[in-house]
Amino acid sequence: MSMCLSRSLCRVLSRQTASSSFMLGEHHHAVRTPWFASVMTLKTSASLRAEPKKKKKVSPMSEQLQRDRLKKRVKRLEKVPPELIPVEDLVTPVSCLDETRERSAVNLLFEESERRALLLKEWCRYKQEQNMAEMQAVELALKAQTEALEELKLESEELYHASLKPDTLLFPFTHEGPVHTPPIKEYEAPDGKYNNITKVYTQ
Amino acid sequence: MAAPCRRIAGRSLLQFLSSFSRTSVSNSGFRQFSSTSVCRGSRQAQHVEEIASSPWTLMAAVCLQRLPVISAESNPIEQQFRDMMSQMEFEKSMMSDHELRLLDDAEKMRRMQAGEYDSDEEENRRDQEIVLAQDLEDSWEQKLKNFQPAARVSDSEGDPGSLQRRLSDSLLLLVERPVGREKLWMLPQTEWQRGETLRETAERALSSLPAASGFKATFLGNTPCGVYKYKLPRAARTESSVGTKVFFFKAVLSDAGAPPATESPESSLLWVTKSELQRYVKPAYLMKVERFLLGF
Repeated sequence: MSMCLSRSLCRVLSRQTASSSFMLGEHHHAVRTPWFASVMTLKTSASLRAEPKKKKKVSPMSEQLQRDRLKKRVKRLEKVPPELIPVEDLVTPVSCLDETRERSAVNLLFEESERRALLLKEWCRYKQEQNMAEMQAVELALKAQTEALEELKLESEELYHASLKPDTLLFPFTHEGPVHTPPIKEYEAPDGKYNNITKVYTQ
Repeated sequence: MAAPCRRIAGRSLLQFLSSFSRTSVSNSGFRQFSSTSVCRGSRQAQHVEEIASSPWTLMAAVCLQRLPVISAESNPIEQQFRDMMSQMEFEKSMMSDHELRLLDDAEKMRRMQAGEYDSDEEENRRDQEIVLAQDLEDSWEQKLKNFQPAARVSDSEGDPGSLQRRLSDSLLLLVERPVGREKLWMLPQTEWQRGETLRETAERALSSLPAASGFKATFLGNTPCGVYKYKLPRAARTESSVGTKVFFFKAVLSDAGAPPATESPESSLLWVTKSELQRYVKPAYLMKVERFLLGF
């Protein structure tokens, strides 16, 4: 379009110059020929061989649209779930599976393996007896308690209901369990130095 | 039936007279109070009638236990099994860093003594101090030997009144009370008074002991764990009092506190294990108490 425009412009100009020279006679431009030549080479548009550029509409909403697009991208990145912190207890470190660490295989004598098998069976029997005894003891204690509650009910309903109420002040209940040696009276434990090398992960 | 009657010969008179008078006093007291609100008063009056009509005296006792302080001794079979398991685990295990270091050091020593070491290694060794893993082990063992733990078996094993005996078993508190003509060992108990729950009676029973003033006990819940009822001998029975019901409440001793300055022979306490209980307590009582004591 620009080409035909320029051509038409050139024709107009040449017509004009022709007409002007015809009309004016000696008043035509002295530099008509070079000017005419430069007109032919005049660049009336930016590039004559490229695609026509679309005009950019500078809208007041463009900045906001850009901001929205950025926010969308950020949200998409944030939607990715955070990386799970590895549980170090469940992961076997590779250094532990080294071959140099394996012990030499022990060849058990027949008597030894027999002894172990028999001891395992005896232990199983012992533990079963212990468990049965524990369960029976608990059942007996429960029976004693139900009997007590029945007797109390016969006595008075109010006391019975009062004793059935849960004790809110009991929990949290703590008790230090049995240790190997009893605690020494007025013992001052020495301060120990340690380097804490635990890895701290952040999500 | 015969045994408890024999046990409570003559204890009755003062006891049931006092209980009888107490109920009559409270009856009149309640009627005055119930005039304020009709329905509440009627329910309470009903309750009062229930208690007054019931011929049983109510008492609450506390079963205070000192839980074991040290772990129990192992049976022979437990010990055998423990040794076998540790051996099996050792056979299946891998070598640790310390063990590898021990092996390396032994290897180095052997080579040094045999005279086949490189000059490079010798230079390295001159820069560093040789700390063998074996030396470390020896120093650790030495430190362990320097520490003297307390003895598992204390001196006061035979003294039944001391709390430090039988650290691996749970101990039960017994007191001696006059019943009838004789003094009997039993769990500390007091009579129930109007306006309190049975658990509060049990707490009062514990705090009323002069020797147990510094005790800190945690009562395990509001429910009684057992009951012992005995009937008064036929001669002492009346319409309003046939016998007594003793409800037991379990408690765990958390702190004994300082022992009392003066120890009177009346307020003597006894700490016994379950197996020793039969030496002190009557058989019928023992039968009821043994049921809710877990352990041996």
